[in-house]
Amino acid sequence: MEDESPQTTPDAPQEETGSAASTAQGVIRRALDRASGSYRAFGTLIALGLIWLFFSLKSEYFFTTENIFNIFLQASNIGIIAAGLTVVLIAAEIDLSIGSLQALSGSVAAVVIIQHGQPIWLGILAGLGATVFAGFISGILTWKLKIVSFISTLAMLGIAQGVAFLLTNGTAIAGFGDTYGLIGTYSFRGFPAAAMIAIVVFVAIHLLLTQTKLGLQIFAVGGNSEAAEFAGIKAGRVKLVTLIISGLTGGIGGLILSSRLDAGNGLFGANDLLAAVAGVVIGGTSLFGGVGSVVGTAIGVVMIASINDGLILLNIPDFWQQIVIGCIIIAAMAVDRLTKAARLSIL
Amino acid sequence: MTPVSPPNETGRQSVLEARGISMSYGAVRALSNVDLSLYPGEVLGLVGDNGAGKTTLVKCLSGVHRPDSGEILVDGTVRDSLNAEQMRSLGVETVYQNLSLVDTLDVMQNFFLNRELLYRNPVARALGLLNKRQMYRATTERLRELELAVEARRSIAAVSGGQRQMIAVARAISWGNHIVMLDEPAAALGVRQSLQVLTFIRSMAERGVAVLFISHNMQHVLQVTDRIVVLRRGEKVGDLKTADASAQQIVTLITGSDLVVAGKDTKV
Repeated sequence: MEDESPQTTPDAPQEETGSAASTAQGVIRRALDRASGSYRAFGTLIALGLIWLFFSLKSEYFFTTENIFNIFLQASNIGIIAAGLTVVLIAAEIDLSIGSLQALSGSVAAVVIIQHGQPIWLGILAGLGATVFAGFISGILTWKLKIVSFISTLAMLGIAQGVAFLLTNGTAIAGFGDTYGLIGTYSFRGFPAAAMIAIVVFVAIHLLLTQTKLGLQIFAVGGNSEAAEFAGIKAGRVKLVTLIISGLTGGIGGLILSSRLDAGNGLFGANDLLAAVAGVVIGGTSLFGGVGSVVGTAIGVVMIASINDGLILLNIPDFWQQIVIGCIIIAAMAVDRLTKAARLSIL
Repeated sequence: MTPVSPPNETGRQSVLEARGISMSYGAVRALSNVDLSLYPGEVLGLVGDNGAGKTTLVKCLSGVHRPDSGEILVDGTVRDSLNAEQMRSLGVETVYQNLSLVDTLDVMQNFFLNRELLYRNPVARALGLLNKRQMYRATTERLRELELAVEARRSIAAVSGGQRQMIAVARAISWGNHIVMLDEPAAALGVRQSLQVLTFIRSMAERGVAVLFISHNMQHVLQVTDRIVVLRRGEKVGDLKTADASAQQIVTLITGSDLVVAGKDTKV
């Protein structure tokens, strides 16, 4: 480790920066180094392509615009909460409450809009406000009381769902009306509005993570919170912000879901946590922090939705979906391990 | 063993001063009543055995730890309650042992950590948009000046231990225009790079920067410092001019007994 390879010795000054690696080994090393992030996403994309190819060969209906858009629609919900979860995981924390937050925002919106007859925008604001507040509470507990987010958000998982059940009296409050229903059902030339919302969320979070100071701080805190603190970054505050972001995405996901189901209830969306985690992990985000991208998460989530969709088209029983997705997670992890080992041996 | 009295520094304003610093980790007393002054253009060596309190003292001075009692002065003003970010904004730059860099980020990101360049445009600034091109240019230029053959976008996880340490030192040297504290900066370095770090340290001091240098390597300490402070079990037991000190004398202060050092005055 401590010995430098020949091309990194300082007694050979370079004319041009970055031309240090002129040897073949250096070129490979640099390419791998540069691409390590996008390269992982590219691998996931190839896997997705193979899955699409497989289902296209098995069912002629699979690769139609209508079905692909349907996959996007199915993926948009979980995608949005998975995008928020990605941010939290990069900061080396976790948000277990995202499923329940969906139930909470949908229930709050239902109570405000349906029960109290308030305008839609107020219901949306109240729904998002509730989940952002929930994320804020989890974040404050993590920051100020040093309760690890695994616990604080586990508590929030129960609290958010309990509140949702309380608000709805344990039943589904149904009948939002057509306008609110557009969020989940409108489509432009077949392309669902929910997927557009998801794309906006992904682009916004991608820009946040890659182009802003806050994004870099999230990576720094997740990579080495002590070094980040030494550099003057307030790690606790950064973690709080990530939990607020996932509170917001949980809220957005819940609103879309409640619009599609035309009701709010403590159960709607509450079971989406594992699918979101699966999407994030398949997309290459590290559970240990410091590494990850929402581009990978988007591909991972679309992959899961594709598998679900394809298996339904092939009339394969439901429970196979879970088995296949479990296997894909294992495969993704195995590939990560193997490529990492290969990379290290080249370096 | 009586503490050696500090050299007469009257007439010079210290840039960093600790007065009566005490700190405990639970029942363990890490520092008791330590005084220390750092002057511009001076390299001060801080030596002591493992557990003598050197790193704790540096962390108190850099704002990472808050001492239980005592005062910290920057440029003659009491600055007790400042955190790491505020101390940095006063020009106090620190390289901690092993802990300064984020492995998952690249060289450039570490170089600018929490000091990122933003665009001038007020909207972009409010959004915190990073000016990556300018940061890349500045980092590349700096790396070349310091003769560090590392690519600016290379991940820290992929560089060697020696280069990693050089990058941490280079960062402190680049930003530290006032006070730089280096905790074992040459620990993971080979002979050549160690010498390079020592050269950096001397040139910083010549620019008027005050440098606090922690090392176990007696040869380095004698070579680069102007003055040496010795800690033993959390207490200051010596403060002497390097020109008047011998390795034997310092080792005696460090260990607290008149051990005979085998061989010549070199390393401990």
